[in-house]
Amino acid sequence: MKKNQTLTQMSVPVRASLIIMGLGQLCYKQWIKGLLYLSVFAGTLLYMITTGIKDIAGFFTLGTEETDPWLGTTGDDSVIMLLRGLLAFIVIAVFLVIHASNVRDILECDKKVRTGKALPGFARAVSIFFDRKFYIAALAIPVAGVLVFNVLPILFMILIAFTNYGGDIVPPKLVDWIGFDNFRKILSLAEIKDTFFRILGWNLIWAFTSTFLNYFGGLGLALLLNKKCVKGKSFWRAFPILAYAVPGFITLLAFKFLFSYGGPINYYITSNGGNAIGFLDIDAGVKAKLIGLVVNAWISIPTSMLLATGILSNMNTDLYEAASIDGATKWKQFTKITLPFVVFSTTPVLITNFIGNFNNFGIFYFLRGGLYMDGYFLASDTDLLINWLYNLSIDNNYYGIGAAVSLIIFILTSFFSLLVYVRSSAYKKEDTFR
Amino acid sequence: MNREIARVLATGMVFSMAAGLVGCGSSESGSEAVSEKTKETTEQIVLHILENDTAKSEGYLQELLDAFNAAYAEKGIQAVDANMDEYTDLAANGPYGYGPDVLYQANDKLMTYAEDKHILPLTIEDFACYEYVPEEAWDAFKMTLDGKEYYCGVPVNIQEPMLFYRTDMLPEDWEEVWDKDGNQKPDFLENWNDLYAFSQYLRETDTSANQDGQYGFMASLNNLYLSSQFIFSYGGYVFGETEDGTLNAEDIGFAAGNTAAGMSALKQMAGLMNEGCIDDTITLNRYEKLADGSYFCAVSTPDTYSLFLEKLSLHYEAEGLTEEEAKTKAKENLQMVELPSCMPANGDLSQKSEEMNEADWVDTVVMGGVNGYGISSYTKYREASVEFVNFATGYEMIKTRADMLGIAPTRSDVAKECGDTTDMIFNSLADGRIYLMPSIKAVDQIWVPTQTVMGDIAKDAFREKKGESAKYTSKENFQAAMETVNKNIYDAIYTLSE
Repeated sequence: MKKNQTLTQMSVPVRASLIIMGLGQLCYKQWIKGLLYLSVFAGTLLYMITTGIKDIAGFFTLGTEETDPWLGTTGDDSVIMLLRGLLAFIVIAVFLVIHASNVRDILECDKKVRTGKALPGFARAVSIFFDRKFYIAALAIPVAGVLVFNVLPILFMILIAFTNYGGDIVPPKLVDWIGFDNFRKILSLAEIKDTFFRILGWNLIWAFTSTFLNYFGGLGLALLLNKKCVKGKSFWRAFPILAYAVPGFITLLAFKFLFSYGGPINYYITSNGGNAIGFLDIDAGVKAKLIGLVVNAWISIPTSMLLATGILSNMNTDLYEAASIDGATKWKQFTKITLPFVVFSTTPVLITNFIGNFNNFGIFYFLRGGLYMDGYFLASDTDLLINWLYNLSIDNNYYGIGAAVSLIIFILTSFFSLLVYVRSSAYKKEDTFR
Repeated sequence: MNREIARVLATGMVFSMAAGLVGCGSSESGSEAVSEKTKETTEQIVLHILENDTAKSEGYLQELLDAFNAAYAEKGIQAVDANMDEYTDLAANGPYGYGPDVLYQANDKLMTYAEDKHILPLTIEDFACYEYVPEEAWDAFKMTLDGKEYYCGVPVNIQEPMLFYRTDMLPEDWEEVWDKDGNQKPDFLENWNDLYAFSQYLRETDTSANQDGQYGFMASLNNLYLSSQFIFSYGGYVFGETEDGTLNAEDIGFAAGNTAAGMSALKQMAGLMNEGCIDDTITLNRYEKLADGSYFCAVSTPDTYSLFLEKLSLHYEAEGLTEEEAKTKAKENLQMVELPSCMPANGDLSQKSEEMNEADWVDTVVMGGVNGYGISSYTKYREASVEFVNFATGYEMIKTRADMLGIAPTRSDVAKECGDTTDMIFNSLADGRIYLMPSIKAVDQIWVPTQTVMGDIAKDAFREKKGESAKYTSKENFQAAMETVNKNIYDAIYTLSE
């Protein structure tokens, strides 16, 4: 059969299936398959007639009639309409995928009939499908899950960035599409732009420094506790694990108290005749940033240590023996054997840590929340983009602007993650350590 | 061929059976719907009531529900605890059928909902409490929409910052030294200059090792609610009003009047405290420190009275009294009064009160709020909800609430019966010495900017002590700081929505 047939060259069943899914299969007496395709077609048609078309129209208008809770009249809910419109597009996309499979199937059936081959029954066809395309069967449910729980919210967030949702415009008021206005505000309003770039600069320094500190802190601790000369290793390992086991926000609140004016550190300073120090107050600046790094290290180093301990247990000790015989120093052994091995195995984790630190909301929210500094638009000098995002979207209800900032964070973190990953040994030399 | 016909027939039969089943289903649901309708007319109305945590923990909510359910059993109305967080978001949940029918909240919170019509407007004249509640309290729940006035809440009680102190910590010679007008009330509880002088006296006579054991007036100065007198007594306001009397969030008034003088007074007062006044340290340790005598007086809200009492009782117990004796002594000695009523007009707390004339003073005005009941617009039982609110704001229940929770009721009859302090708070509201939190959504944006600047000004007192350069040394500096507050609030409300 020619690959590119015109409509007139196609057989009747093929043409029938192109127009109505499953009809061609029914013509070839593929009853179950035909009915399944037909039911998908009928279901989608029914969905589109009853709600789909309305939902798509609503996606573009985002509502025309406001709800009045006082009068009890039900109008349009823009946010729900946006969500339903998005769902309608997803249904159409899924329908097109199934329709494509229907076309492939009818062409295959047609080819078999033309060449005089017998068409397999439904059970046989399913069995062949599972045999040849098991990956599709196995991944169908997880992919559906990812679509619903990951892709849909991300798409929803992206779309919100192009609306005026927030401020005074919250349901029952109607939301409108405003194109790139939110991005324009972030990048053009002088104050917002300055705040954005200032915070972005500090955010990058924070993410790199804290990832470096946590990673090498954990590795150092793991190496130390791996030393033969260390007595009671399990006992010492328990301490970082305890720090890890305490919920993060409890640790952060404890540190906030520790460094507050009424906390134990200032108590001892004043008891010894010194002046209380504002570790986290409005003048703290660099002090507060350093405390943030240390507190984050306290929370994160145990995880890195546990990870490094596991990886180090797989190290081939013969390599060290050979290196010693060759006269390599301990530092050389670390940089040429230990580090490449650990980094190779943990690059994806390192990227995850970097993203986690880039979006580390809790540290400065708990340690130093509730400050708006001079020169910052609704933010303080220790706020990260994620904290600013919170100030804008939750504290001040600017959901549209918040979504636009989220999108920028998403683009930045994706860029850095991909950049690091494709340049890493874990990607380039995937099978080196196998 | 026959087999194929049989298959087609079988398929047809399956479809017709399925259609039959669907038909059965619809007819069944129809009959269900009919029975639902019949049920609705006979079923009991269940109202979900959202109260605050204190009302729950102190047992008042249960008392209220029991009383209401007993009174309305015959009418088929039952009220139950909504079992939700006291700050549950009605705007997010209500439209989707969740949330309480009736909710008890502060006026600013309730009116934030009302602005978007999540709370129903009420005909307030229909409520039994109408004539007993002053107009100022009703106004806390008033909003104007399309030129028409609506009331969206029924007032229950007034909240304002109060001064807590211990009578057994008064100096022995207070009547000779600290009662210059001889009215049997310490001067430092009457005006801020004497409170400043008394605090200074306590600091100077502090003989503890690091001179850190004896303070006078203590409050978190970065907290707008607890230190609002430094703004509102000097002509500051939150939002102005338009000609027709509606609130205008574009007119932000933290730099209005002579608030620079107020901020200067705040800085002066900070100089007699410790650095705890810059953050929430004093808010957290005031119960303990008042009980152990480190603080002579501290600012808090009336609903924290029981916490002060508890700590003081424990303190007396530690001194060797029995539990009962300690409680009695604590009740005798713990006093909750309004903040001193006069502040120096020029903001100089160090000026001697005896050298000042009447014109040198301004009335102390504090920020306050009115808590009350609102009815969700999404309730299925509007009339029953009105019945509940009417019952809960009746004399009996408000009296019970005042007795159990120590609130200051807005009902004049209950307030009079409750005694001096409650009556005093009631009168302060009527006399305009309580600046009610504006009842609009934009009020959410005032807290962080004020907290930042007030904390920074309080910190200035300690910068000087440490030999660092002070940021606020002139009236212009204070004024500029308050202009920054206005700007930040404006930005939060408008800049991004323009």
